[in-house]
Amino acid sequence: MIQIQNLIKAYNKEIVLNIPELTIEKGEILGLVGNNGAGKTTMFNIVLDLIVASKGQVISKGINVRESEDWKDFTGAFIDETFLIGYLTAEEYFSFIAGLRRMTKVETNEFLEVYKDFFNGEILGKKKFIRDFSKGNQKKVGIIAAFMGKPEVIVLDEPFANLDPSSQYKLRKLIKDFSARYGSTFLISDHTLDNIADVSTRLIILEKGKIVRDVPKTDTTLQDIVAFFKPVLEPDLY
Amino acid sequence: MYFNLFSFAWREAIRSAYWGKSLATNIGLGLLAIYFMVSFLFLGFALPEIMTKGFPNADPVSKFNSFLLGYFAIEQIFRQLMQKLPTVSFKSFLLLNIRRSKIVNYLMVRSLINFFNILPLFLLVPVAFKLVGVSHSGLATASWILATFILVLSNHFLAIYLKWRFNEAQYGFFVLLAILVSLFAVNYYGIVDLSGDLGKLLDLVLIYPALSLLFIVLPVLLYGLNFKYLISRMFLNLFLETQKEEKVSDYSWLNKMGDTGRFIALELRLIWRNKRPRSLAIMTVIFLGYGFLIYRSVDGKELPEFIFIIGGLIVVCMFSISYGQFFPAWHSNYFSMLMCQRLKMKQFLQSFYMLVTVISVSCYLITLPYALMHSKVIYTHLAMLLYNLGVNIPIMFFFGLYSKNRLDLNQSSMMNYQGMNASQWLARLPLLVGPIGLFYLFKLAFGVTGGYIGLGVMGIIGILFHSVIIDFFSKQYLKKKHQLIQNYKNS
Repeated sequence: MIQIQNLIKAYNKEIVLNIPELTIEKGEILGLVGNNGAGKTTMFNIVLDLIVASKGQVISKGINVRESEDWKDFTGAFIDETFLIGYLTAEEYFSFIAGLRRMTKVETNEFLEVYKDFFNGEILGKKKFIRDFSKGNQKKVGIIAAFMGKPEVIVLDEPFANLDPSSQYKLRKLIKDFSARYGSTFLISDHTLDNIADVSTRLIILEKGKIVRDVPKTDTTLQDIVAFFKPVLEPDLY
Repeated sequence: MYFNLFSFAWREAIRSAYWGKSLATNIGLGLLAIYFMVSFLFLGFALPEIMTKGFPNADPVSKFNSFLLGYFAIEQIFRQLMQKLPTVSFKSFLLLNIRRSKIVNYLMVRSLINFFNILPLFLLVPVAFKLVGVSHSGLATASWILATFILVLSNHFLAIYLKWRFNEAQYGFFVLLAILVSLFAVNYYGIVDLSGDLGKLLDLVLIYPALSLLFIVLPVLLYGLNFKYLISRMFLNLFLETQKEEKVSDYSWLNKMGDTGRFIALELRLIWRNKRPRSLAIMTVIFLGYGFLIYRSVDGKELPEFIFIIGGLIVVCMFSISYGQFFPAWHSNYFSMLMCQRLKMKQFLQSFYMLVTVISVSCYLITLPYALMHSKVIYTHLAMLLYNLGVNIPIMFFFGLYSKNRLDLNQSSMMNYQGMNASQWLARLPLLVGPIGLFYLFKLAFGVTGGYIGLGVMGIIGILFHSVIIDFFSKQYLKKKHQLIQNYKNS
């Protein structure tokens, strides 16, 4: 689905992202973990053609994202709150995105109905602008908007951050269900290791711009990545 | 402790990214400030002569005193429009071991360092020496200066207090305006001679200098009012916007117009729901009446032609120029989202073009009655309308390519230079000076009527080619998109 080839992004000769080769298959849920500055957001921004790579290219479903805009037809994304239009209500925002994604009013309503439980009654039907929402509710709006129009590729940067515990569990299920139902490919990053280990089918650890681990998910994946990030090994006292 | 707070404020100003980036803005503002100071200084030196010539039978000093109330009223309006409220990001101080009263006092004291408090001195000091000092003793003059300056400070604290209040209820400013206008009427028709009474009071100060000390009561009271207001509200939940139900207006009928309609609906919501574009829209409506000022001919003389160009620019094109000079930064807060969506850059530009066209044409139609004052307005405004749509909009598209700063939508637009940079200052020049210069060029070649026809024809050519122009700029914007995203992120 997505091929990344010889990708290098450098700021003032300092290389922040260096991926010689990465192929993401259709239907994969790719979990990206890494400490701050590892290059996760940079990679997503390049995939979405929001920043220009210094070298290399991203091919999404056969389309070089730098050269054509056609990838926008099948790609949904939520990177941060700058993806939201603060002065709209949630409904207006959804219907704005729905219009761009060629969804009818009926389709939009049916679509939103599915996520009623996730919204927890705090988002729809409120006469309140998105800018006045709490961080967690803003995030929910952004994530669900990224799902609109059944995109084949969905990019979510730290979707679990700022969500309350129940919503985190709900979101895990939402992502897995969506991928199973529509065969969508997900690119997800996060800092909460158990969320990312649960939701993804393949895990990549980025460190200083380089892929240092790339493994399919197994039962021991969580322990492996926890071990990777734990700075100090505690002596076994017992 | 106060010193510390001041040093924080100083660092906040110096280290803000905005300071370094907008050198052009700062220079522009500095020049404006110097212009006003010099004008006041000249006025101050010229006043004694103006007073004796204009009112040969009156005592010039008491005549000047009787005008002061009017000055303070006008100053109050300008303060309301332009003066910034003293704010500090106090959130981080609330948890520290600083008394709330200390923060409030600091805010109030800091607010005194303000251009509006310094500017009157440029007028008052020369007047004191050249006018008051000539006929009065040194002590009397000094106490006169003291009294008037105390009045300036009272005006300052009154302005701040009202501004806090108006922050809660936005119609407050218009109430104030109405009150001032009715006071003016009361004064003008001689029902109560308010300004004369203040004048007499100041005359008394010249006779009994000790009276000036009594004036201090006024600012002290106003300070107390401010203090009480602030200290009772220095809690996060009260200071942050109270959660209220928004009036949500429905623009969904525009969705029927397809993608362009959807974007126009977005622009309308943007304008109506954010303070900054909304105040622009309100200013546009107010300035529709500007023609009454500018088209009034003095002694039945013919008005110079450039008056009609400026009139057309302000009355017909004001909205498109003031709104368009920030294109596309109005959408800067969510620009990267738009760039991820399936939308044609063309629609984005087109909907802006449509919006501006509709508004400019409406402004033209609404202001047609000015033809009753000068019948030529019909075609001078038409020429400006065509020129605006055909030439000014492409110019704004061009400068939009170099848009650098994210716009903060929730600040009032008056004297607000957030998000201004050199390209906006540059853009204003051809937008405003361009048509005047071109008109005189055409006039040189083809006469007065030819001048207007020239502007109109340029506009028509631009309008005929508008789809080519929009195509061209959509490609340019696509090329520049990464630069714009980066600029908005970094500002």
